[in-house]
Amino acid sequence: MFYYTCEPDSAAMFTCIYEAWASGKGHHNIRLCVEPVEQYTLFDTYIHVDADESKAEKVVRTLQTQLSHAFFEEISFVTLSAQEDALDTIYRVMILGFAFGPKALEMYQYKEVVRFWEIRKRVKREVHLFPEFLRFVSLEGGLLLGHFEPRDRVLIPVSWAFEDRMPSENWMIVDDVHRMAVVHQADKESVLRILTDEEFEKLCEAERYKDDFTKRWQIFFEHIAIRERANSRCQQTLFPKWMRKHVTEFQK
Amino acid sequence: MQEKSSAKDAHSLFVLEKALAETNICLYNQNRTFVWRVYEMFELQKEKSIEDKLAILADAAKYDVACTSSGVDRKGKKGYLGNSVAAGVCHSFAADGRCISLLKILMTNHCIYDCKYCINRCSNEVERATFTPDEICTLTMEFYRRNYIEGLFLSSGIIRSPGYTMEKMCETLWLLRNKYKFNGYIHLKAIPGAPDELLTLAGYLADRMSINLELPTKESLQRLAPNKNFNSILKPMGKLTDTIAAHRLAVGKDARMERSSGNRYLENSIFHNDKLEDSMRTRNAFLPSVGKNEQMQRPFAPAGQSTQMIIGASGESDFDLMRTTQQLYRSYDLKRVFFSAYVPINEDSSLPALGTPPPLLREHRLYQADWLLRFYGFHAEELLSMEKPNFHTELDPKCDWAIRHLGQFPVEIMKAPYDVLLRVPGIGPTSAKRIVQSRRHGTLSFEMLKKMGVVLKRAHYFITCAGKMMYKIPIEEHYIMSQLCADNRNENWELAHKQDFKQMSLFQDFAVSQNRIATG
Repeated sequence: MFYYTCEPDSAAMFTCIYEAWASGKGHHNIRLCVEPVEQYTLFDTYIHVDADESKAEKVVRTLQTQLSHAFFEEISFVTLSAQEDALDTIYRVMILGFAFGPKALEMYQYKEVVRFWEIRKRVKREVHLFPEFLRFVSLEGGLLLGHFEPRDRVLIPVSWAFEDRMPSENWMIVDDVHRMAVVHQADKESVLRILTDEEFEKLCEAERYKDDFTKRWQIFFEHIAIRERANSRCQQTLFPKWMRKHVTEFQK
Repeated sequence: MQEKSSAKDAHSLFVLEKALAETNICLYNQNRTFVWRVYEMFELQKEKSIEDKLAILADAAKYDVACTSSGVDRKGKKGYLGNSVAAGVCHSFAADGRCISLLKILMTNHCIYDCKYCINRCSNEVERATFTPDEICTLTMEFYRRNYIEGLFLSSGIIRSPGYTMEKMCETLWLLRNKYKFNGYIHLKAIPGAPDELLTLAGYLADRMSINLELPTKESLQRLAPNKNFNSILKPMGKLTDTIAAHRLAVGKDARMERSSGNRYLENSIFHNDKLEDSMRTRNAFLPSVGKNEQMQRPFAPAGQSTQMIIGASGESDFDLMRTTQQLYRSYDLKRVFFSAYVPINEDSSLPALGTPPPLLREHRLYQADWLLRFYGFHAEELLSMEKPNFHTELDPKCDWAIRHLGQFPVEIMKAPYDVLLRVPGIGPTSAKRIVQSRRHGTLSFEMLKKMGVVLKRAHYFITCAGKMMYKIPIEEHYIMSQLCADNRNENWELAHKQDFKQMSLFQDFAVSQNRIATG
């Protein structure tokens, strides 16, 4: 068995798919996974693939023209996943796509398609929930700073929600897990920045800033609940604890 | 004549003294205007902080159920703050598990009405407060910037008169939209009895309007809310419906509000006939137009209107509630009807005694049935009847219906049409759509159905795959009912008895302070 491995970003992942497909070793002899590989196996060969923009573009173009834009969009969502088998699942679904056309994603009879939708659902859930649960602190000068800790690499789709929501505000969203930030200047395009350790520490420090509205929100949150209907299990199902790490109303 | 006026002054003085002596106890007599002025003076003297007001007015607003920010898609624009998403956005979940999407507050909890079920009724001795329009706007804007909320839900007790109250609410919304440049979601609770012109203005400023029906029948409303009447609620509701429809037609949309896309395939759906248009044609009541200026170039209540009914405060059956709900969807084209399990907060002989647990299981069943009306193509008359006016306590309404119509089951998963699949317990709109899509490409097994999201625990009694049932079981009413009840037992017990037992706390229940324990 040949394992093709790559860095966890979209360009490297599409390049990895290109190399694996073009290797001619037979689809059933190939597995794909993102680095770091948790457990190497003894008798298999591991081939590292570096990102190559032109090869990645070829894969994207082929998906868009020979299958469909909708098919490509679904696949690009799954590339954001941190699941171990996400890349291999994309590869298997692409094989089905080229065999049966874009309708392959409706074929729940194949276990690869079922798994594909499971992974996509996890990513979509984070893309859907973090724009709701992310909280900003308003620093002096009006800059809004928000931290969050996603499992998948969803910083960019999460930032799209805020570009539309607050186009004329200065804000910054920090992904604490992947040490990246999206910075938005009022009425301008947002930019993505990989954070240095020093920058990250400063931003973590700034998050502790509190103002009157922090306290007011906590008062509101406490008073809007009906005591006679208390239901912490329902609250926990709808607002999981791992998503509450930077949420104002749950801070002591 | 002189005697009369001195008696009046003495009475006024007595009220004033009492009001100032007993802080924030609201007393209203026939001379309402005078007493209101006393309170205005008193509040100015007292100068409550915003935190205090927020605590009082959020507490007073928490019994309003609706907190949805759904129904309208609106992009953000430069220079403004906010957008709106049709699916709705929940920003948090309170300790009772309910969604917090909007800043749900009352403008004031002063009220001249004496509705028996309401915490803010004038005869109740509760702390009172009033927000100024600017305070509401600042709170909304600052909370929105920090991503705490999706918009504002503004309701109010009645101060001075319905017209005056509505005017103050409109002023708040006007400031929010035009001075503070807020482009997010606003849900406004309209005040029954307010002038039509103010309703029109509110419709242009808010996204969703709602008027609470409170109780499903005329008799119970008369008994529990003597200051309100059915006409003063249904009349403005009808006018709002027709005005929204007219505005939708003017911009080339269907007169009726958008519904779940699955309803297109459901011929039996309550939204799939032209009864609504008939009633609109006969009613033909519109709100008056107000001079539109540039700042009011907005769609009229684009997210439609909703209402809420209290469950368990009066003696109506579930059938009455469901029929009223269905009628509201058909004739008034409401986007949502909310149900609120009554929490006994007032002592009154005509209401459940204090300490009675709110009927949460009943509320849960009504919401399940409401979903069946809106997404599954059921009618109230199919679910309940005069002979069986209440929902089964142990079975959900869909299972209950399926067991009473066993003649229509089992259905073959490879052949059954979409609307029939939707009527199978354990199959919802998403899994029904997946079944219809994937069966074009090959046969389906029970294992595949499970992976598609079908709840086989309930569905397997009612379906076959390639002509075979999952287990060899008798298709017999008592057997299936006992099996399904056993499956739901834990969940139902929890819902029905949640309030009966609780772990007592030394600090909350016996008021022992932690400091006292620490210091011995």
